[in-house]
Amino acid sequence: MSLRLNLALLILPAALLLVMPGYADDNGPVIPPATYGDQCVADTDIMRKEHMSLLNHQRDETVIEGIRGEPFSLVSCVNCHAQNDNGGQPIRIDAKGQFCESCHTYAAVKIDCFTCHAALPEENAVIGSLQNNLPVASTYSNKQLLVMQSHKVAHKASHDYQRK
Amino acid sequence: MTTSVNNNSGGDQPQGSGNAQLARRRFLQKLGLMGAVAASYTLLEVQAKTAASSDKRWGLFIDTSKCSSGCDACVRGCNEEHGIDAGKDEHTRAQWIRKIDLTDNLTGAESSVPVMCQHCDSAPCVDVCPTGASFKRADGVVLVNKHTCIGCRYCMMACPYKARSFIHENLTDQKPSAPRGKGTVESCTLCVHRIDSDQNQQPACAVSCTDEAHSAIVFGDLNDPDSDISKKLKTVGGSQIRADLSLNTGVRYHGL
Repeated sequence: MSLRLNLALLILPAALLLVMPGYADDNGPVIPPATYGDQCVADTDIMRKEHMSLLNHQRDETVIEGIRGEPFSLVSCVNCHAQNDNGGQPIRIDAKGQFCESCHTYAAVKIDCFTCHAALPEENAVIGSLQNNLPVASTYSNKQLLVMQSHKVAHKASHDYQRK
Repeated sequence: MTTSVNNNSGGDQPQGSGNAQLARRRFLQKLGLMGAVAASYTLLEVQAKTAASSDKRWGLFIDTSKCSSGCDACVRGCNEEHGIDAGKDEHTRAQWIRKIDLTDNLTGAESSVPVMCQHCDSAPCVDVCPTGASFKRADGVVLVNKHTCIGCRYCMMACPYKARSFIHENLTDQKPSAPRGKGTVESCTLCVHRIDSDQNQQPACAVSCTDEAHSAIVFGDLNDPDSDISKKLKTVGGSQIRADLSLNTGVRYHGL
């Protein structure tokens, strides 16, 4: 009995050591920085969690109501976040290791946007779209503000819960 | 409120009700301030965005006497604008505009016209769509919301103008302003991406036609009596293709 216990005590830490490096090395996906601009249309933690809600709300407004030039547009995401290769040519944002792909592969979430939408930036449109996208409160719609607000509330609630 | 003050403070009634009044005043002041903030927010928002409005009804006027048989500038302009590959298999490629040559059997008179989505007021494609993907915007532009389109092609069957195309194969290199993809139906959008962002912009077909010095296509607001298109229609007149269907099309032809 005591031998078995000793064996178990030996094996358990050994097994843990085998498994641990996988976690120890895992610092999350390597996300390339934005090519243009130093400020996104919303805070990073909001964008990480809520980008699809924000994109979807604005998508409906644009397609159905014809409201354009709003901050949360997929075209603007690509314009700022698509990287250039060594020759200065833009790389598809869903290519391996690029902005969208790196995180989505890590999270195992399939991106369905770029079967229809352009994955390359607009030609000569980067600066113009950046100026349009500066986060001025008045350019956010009620729905977008609601999404951001609910995120902040949820984030704070989970934070408070963790502290307890 | 007054009763509770009375109960709590007993005999000291005047001072108690004074406090209550002060509290109420402060409360109302705060409420007013909040209202003002909310109101200014809404105002800002209204100024910031412009949605398609039913005050306008976008349409096209096509002068068949100016449209020449061999010319396909409008088709090329449209293909270029939306990234449509005209070199693909002719049975499956997308066609947003088709050039049709007509001959009158009785007189032998020939004419050539571009036919695209006619942006009907009572659009059959909108009626039949099972998901609501085929819809008419407030300003009369008939579109496919490809996010909800299931590719059933019922709208293609319903359209009397054969204006819609189905995308059979995977596409690459789409234009940022014209998302297109396999499994969805598409048709002329009256270049909404251009006309939404700038009211003075014209659809690509009209621009190409003018560049070719034909100026057979006039784009404008049918609701505005002072617009070019309304003036043209008033002076020279324009007819609908298949007017018998009473669809009240947004595209009108002169000289058919």
